[in-house]
Amino acid sequence: MNDVLRDLFPLAWSGMITGCLYALGAMGLVMIFKSSRVVNFSHGNVAGFAAFLIYGFSSGVLLDLSWGAAVLLTIVAVVAIACLTYAVIAPLVFDSDLTATIATLGIGLIAQGATLLIFGADIVSLDLPIPRFSTSVLGLRITGYDLTVLGVAIVTIGALFFVIDYTKLGIAFRAISENSFAAEVCGLNLRSIHLFSWVVAAVLGVVGALLIVPTTFLSVTTVAAFMLQAFAAAVIGGFASLPGSLIGGILIGVLMNLFTFYVSPQFSSTFLLCIILLALNIFPNGILARVGGSRV
Amino acid sequence: MMDVATKSLTGQGIALSFGGIEVLKGLDVEFRAGEITGLIGPNGAGKTSLFNCLTGAYHPQKGAISYAGHSLEGLPPAARAQKGIVRSFQHVALSPDLTVLENVMIGVARNYHSGWLHAFLPTVRGRHEKAEMRADAERALAELGLAKAADKMPSELPPGMLRLVEIARAIVGRPAVLMLDEPAAGLNNSETRDLMRSLSALASPDLVMVVVEHDMDLVMSICDRIYVLNFGAFVACGTPAEVRSNEEVVRIYLGSDDD
Amino acid sequence: MSDHPVTIKAVHPPLPERLRELVASDLGSYVLAVVLIVLPLLVSGSWMFAIGVCFANAIGVLAVSFLVRYGGEVSIGHAFFAAVGAYSVAILDTRFGLSLLVSVPLALVLGVVTGVAFAWPSRKLSGIYLAVSTMALALAVPELINNTDALTGGYEGLYVSKPLIPGLPMSFQRYYVALAVLIAVVFALARFRHSRQGLTILLSKAHPAAADAFGTRQVWARCAVLGISGGIAALCGAMLAFAGSTVSPSGFTLWSSIFLLVGSVVSFYGLTLARALIGGAFLTLVPQFLSASGAWIPVFYGLALLGMILLGHYLPRLKEMMARHGGTA
Repeated sequence: MNDVLRDLFPLAWSGMITGCLYALGAMGLVMIFKSSRVVNFSHGNVAGFAAFLIYGFSSGVLLDLSWGAAVLLTIVAVVAIACLTYAVIAPLVFDSDLTATIATLGIGLIAQGATLLIFGADIVSLDLPIPRFSTSVLGLRITGYDLTVLGVAIVTIGALFFVIDYTKLGIAFRAISENSFAAEVCGLNLRSIHLFSWVVAAVLGVVGALLIVPTTFLSVTTVAAFMLQAFAAAVIGGFASLPGSLIGGILIGVLMNLFTFYVSPQFSSTFLLCIILLALNIFPNGILARVGGSRV
Repeated sequence: MMDVATKSLTGQGIALSFGGIEVLKGLDVEFRAGEITGLIGPNGAGKTSLFNCLTGAYHPQKGAISYAGHSLEGLPPAARAQKGIVRSFQHVALSPDLTVLENVMIGVARNYHSGWLHAFLPTVRGRHEKAEMRADAERALAELGLAKAADKMPSELPPGMLRLVEIARAIVGRPAVLMLDEPAAGLNNSETRDLMRSLSALASPDLVMVVVEHDMDLVMSICDRIYVLNFGAFVACGTPAEVRSNEEVVRIYLGSDDD
Repeated sequence: MSDHPVTIKAVHPPLPERLRELVASDLGSYVLAVVLIVLPLLVSGSWMFAIGVCFANAIGVLAVSFLVRYGGEVSIGHAFFAAVGAYSVAILDTRFGLSLLVSVPLALVLGVVTGVAFAWPSRKLSGIYLAVSTMALALAVPELINNTDALTGGYEGLYVSKPLIPGLPMSFQRYYVALAVLIAVVFALARFRHSRQGLTILLSKAHPAAADAFGTRQVWARCAVLGISGGIAALCGAMLAFAGSTVSPSGFTLWSSIFLLVGSVVSFYGLTLARALIGGAFLTLVPQFLSASGAWIPVFYGLALLGMILLGHYLPRLKEMMARHGGTA
């Protein structure tokens, strides 16, 4: 009994930490889906490209900037990519959401190829200026990394909710995600709101990608693989709920940790598949959906 | 030989509510074989809800629905279709990928049972079955005067003709119960007349026919019996002459047309 | 979700064009088939090998296009079903010494069974929700293969070498068997379009409620479409194993699934021999030409995918504009 508890707490804690990052990724997906009904399959690849850009800008491969400047420059680049992506996809969005979704696969392929072309297929290590310390609270080992992730996640998500709840742009975003036709009739510009969500999503993706890198290496597939968990988190949250995807992210983080520790580390993707199918069937509208409120 | 009178579609105490709002308030209804029964009432009276309960799209909270003495409780639309209970749709629901003839052929599909092998390989049985379905569909189209449209795509036909195609699809499989949801909506006068003639010709001793319709002329002239529905309850039931002379009906239904 | 049937606009050209297309493709298919049958007399061995793999990929493209045409759904997980077929052939070949005569039918059956087995839990999903769950399906493939290495050879894969007809040169067999299966699939799909099941499934795609009212349940239609599509994809995998001679987990990743979709989009979701070959050639020959620099492959595919989608979007509009111009001039 004691043994179980001794393992369970640290597993749940570290699962929650990575879960916060999945949530950041998932919220980007959900932002885009809420405003334009498009599932952005390029999210992971673009975020991975961004992580490589930071590496390239700060390590001397491309430029030799300070860490902060590299991040800033990368965010500018990613915002530009988001705008470009939306410019390509915008005409399709109003035609068929599925076609636009397929188009994002094309963007993802290009981002993947660009990463390979510029940085090659090798694994690189990207160090972040994160305070290195660890303390023990009630037998739980808490590191500087954990606190950094938690802090960044709370600030980012808090800022996002503030923007959505209190700014003009955020209110317009909510109006459009409720009923885009009515919102358009009321004079809101759909395209600028779409663009807003694409840009915010891209930035969220960069933050998530950047923070996940210290737990592993940086390779072409690292961030794309991380984004798959983000997809699962978004699905659990119903794909259209920001609080839902936050809960979904943490749930996925904890469940994956428990699964790899207690069951098998080799079948984690299969486990993810089962979670996604189960979630879509039991809670087709997400775990936060009101009972009986199904869309038919 | 089964007694004709038992081959009717009956509902007893059908009650349906959505989130506390009573849409149907315990309706008793009998649609007899050999008759054309009309179902009329103002908008929102519950006609479509009753219709959907009979076809299996909705499952009423209370009451029993049976055909020829067999309960239909819990059966989904597809299973009712297998029993020969067939409907047409108010909004044309044809496949845009199929020709008119092919769309009508779907109406007889439930009467054929060749396996998957025959679907993929040019077997004799498969070819034979397709030819029979095709012949059935051509006959049904001809009955409604649509023979020339057989090889057209639905997108090439005007709405009125599409509605007739929809009806052709419903009648082609020789249904036991034929339920038509506003068959004349969108038809012009001459098309409506043609439709009335075809529907009257279709009536047979074994066929239960139910028509939900706004066009009073059509209902009054082809129906043998008419149910009048208002606020989820029947106001009147009887022959066209009886219904026409019913004061309540005139007040709530026909009167409201003048407003 | 049933209120929003997913439509992909480029799929329905107007009738005269369709008729012309039909005539051209029927005649074209026969001519093309004859050309492909005599082709090995004209090309070198390495080309023959590449074209054989191209046939296999063309079958995979058909599987994805079939799902789009008959189900209105998009899959980015078809590598799963292809892997089922490929490993049926490879395992029976290397572990049990059985030839294609046994393994191809088994692959087909397993493909159909897994297709239906996936369709059932996802029966209520459509559009992007289904696409996301197919993605999860594709992701599970490599680790499933890698972790059952006693059977599948794990990371290193298996080598398929058993001929169908002993004595005949293997290079010819790899080519002709793949071609025969491709032609058989195209032929069967052309029959299916006019079959009772084909008609009802097409109605179910456009108007599920109407199909339901005529005896075709939506769940049945979904299971049928995914079963058939999964079966075709398994045949693709079986032919990839036989014509390509090796199978390994790297051939059945999420990217392979996405490439199949790219091939399907590039062929405008066509189910004819020529269209399937366009898709298959795209998947086989592009890597061949770009083999010097592998990193260009995803870039090229991405651009091609975007290009074709935008073409499908703008072409009808351009035509309309030109027609209006021509009309007023």
